[in-house]
Amino acid sequence: MARILVFILAALVAVPAQAECYVDYKAKQDNPLRLAYGVAQVSDGNCDPGSAANELAPRLAAAGWALLSVMSTFGPEGLGEREASAADHFLRY
Amino acid sequence: MKGKPVPQTTSSATDSLRAGNRVVAFGIAAIVLILLAAAVFLFVNLPDANAFNAKVTQIFVDNDLRSNAELRLLEILAQSGTSFSEVLQSYRVVIFVLLIFATALLLAALVFLVTIVALNRRISAIQRSGIQVASLLISREGRAVYINDMEFALTEAALETLSVLAEARMDDEVLTGAQIEAVVSGRNEVDCDEAAGATRIKRLRDTLGNQLVSELLVKTIARRGYMLAVGKDVIRMV
Repeated sequence: MARILVFILAALVAVPAQAECYVDYKAKQDNPLRLAYGVAQVSDGNCDPGSAANELAPRLAAAGWALLSVMSTFGPEGLGEREASAADHFLRY
Repeated sequence: MKGKPVPQTTSSATDSLRAGNRVVAFGIAAIVLILLAAAVFLFVNLPDANAFNAKVTQIFVDNDLRSNAELRLLEILAQSGTSFSEVLQSYRVVIFVLLIFATALLLAALVFLVTIVALNRRISAIQRSGIQVASLLISREGRAVYINDMEFALTEAALETLSVLAEARMDDEVLTGAQIEAVVSGRNEVDCDEAAGATRIKRLRDTLGNQLVSELLVKTIARRGYMLAVGKDVIRMV
């Protein structure tokens, strides 16, 4: 019982400390034009659209995608509703 | 005057030819330049083939489109725009060909224009200096006839004969020797001798140069008489 309590406590403490940060973004490829809506994880320190874009853009560029815009940032609770839309681009880059 | 020789004031055929060549060179340069500028302007102003893709991207960013189907639809839209870019390519070729045609036509027009001007000049020069009588001015006071601005002094009798012939020519009449004699002497035609008129004609021709004149100016028309072989409109009398 005490162990479980410790685990729960640890989990409660750990979650805010890690506060996973996710963004959904729009990206494109040229010639031919391809558009993508995706979800990606960014480091906690960059959990606002501006700095998240700075972090995300090089990662996408490495895969051949140009970041168009970061739409929003959200926590793990927002992943479920976006998974279907993001499809291939769900947590891919 | 040292250095360059004084340029001649008379304009010869070669002068006008040289001037014509200069005009042609300037004209060709001007035409090519203008059409080149037009071509550059046209090509620059053709819309970019990527404009459509950019618009589609803009739509994608501005609107909350995230489902896969929506994105594929936008991509198809963009592809139709890309096919339009091939049309643009063909437009470029068409514009290029048309401009080439326009250049060729304008060049031809210019060359023809200059040729016509040069030919006109040459023709008028030929008319002035050549054997064709372009003007025949009879000056009673000066007792001379000016044929193509060349002065020929005449005797009183020859001038009289020429005047009679000129008047007859203006009325489109052919005069016999007797008629000429009658008009000049003021007597009745029936009293006049054909030979007397023929003598007047001969003297007139002798004064002016005989054979050449009899062909070019004072013509004999067989069995009818004599007539000036010049156009009615070139005869003037002072």
